[in-house]
Amino acid sequence: MPDTFYHLLAWALGFGSVVLLMLAIGHVLVALIVIIPTWRICVRAGFAGAWSLLHLIPVIGSLVVMAILAFGDWPNGEATSSSG
Amino acid sequence: MGTEFIALLGLAGLSSAFAFVALVLAAWMAWRIVEKAGLPGWTGLGAILLTLTGLGTIVPVILLWIFAFMRWPRDTAFSTSARAPAAPGPAAGSAGHAAPAAPSALPPPPKALADGRGWTLTGKLGDGQAVSLSFDASASSWMLTGAAASQPTDLSVPDPSVGQPHARLMVAGARLGLADLGTAGGTFIDGARLLPEHGPRDITAVRAIRLGGVELALSRV
Repeated sequence: MPDTFYHLLAWALGFGSVVLLMLAIGHVLVALIVIIPTWRICVRAGFAGAWSLLHLIPVIGSLVVMAILAFGDWPNGEATSSSG
Repeated sequence: MGTEFIALLGLAGLSSAFAFVALVLAAWMAWRIVEKAGLPGWTGLGAILLTLTGLGTIVPVILLWIFAFMRWPRDTAFSTSARAPAAPGPAAGSAGHAAPAAPSALPPPPKALADGRGWTLTGKLGDGQAVSLSFDASASSWMLTGAAASQPTDLSVPDPSVGQPHARLMVAGARLGLADLGTAGGTFIDGARLLPEHGPRDITAVRAIRLGGVELALSRV
């Protein structure tokens, strides 16, 4: 009986680890879809492209990157408001 | 039973409230971001609001890629002003001598951006004395020198390690360039040595430069 229990426990832990790993890889792959263009936007604005890696933080990361771009002074310059 | 139901309702309400606030914030920030790039703000707002429609998140992601790699109106304005040469400024100390005529085919850079902000260089000299230098786009060329300022466009950094003159700052629109003039103390951009043969380097996004032994922080004002 104990052997069966430990066998099931090991199987469950192993399966859970694989699921978590797959989820993490999937998250990174999906995040890459937005990290790549955001990296370029950050660089063109004059910020470090690494700021786009905040997309890896679920839920709040994207908002933080947007806030940096929206409320920070772009070191490479901004268009005047009259042009918009 | 009732308690669980109310708890579920509360959780759903909190999630909805967070989603709503996040959506409004994202729409507002997207408006500002595309406006800074020179596009109409409503395009960013619309891209975010598209997530509310049946198009889901695919279309906003596609729009994000387009926005990242498209030509921004801001860049067009910059290229117009930056294309003009960072001409070597009028020779310092040549009072009474007419400035060399600029090539007629290359007019002076138009002020494409109504960005009247200037720059400041702040730091400490070798003897501990603070130095603060301000300059702006009113002149296209500024000379960094260890000597006392003899021209309106001279920026004096009175330190023995700073050459006389030491380096040249070039302003074109909202962009700033730096060229080393080959002095022994050397010029460094974020720690990397700038040599005269490198020519002018864009330091618009740079935070610190070093002239000889004087570290200067660069900031917009």
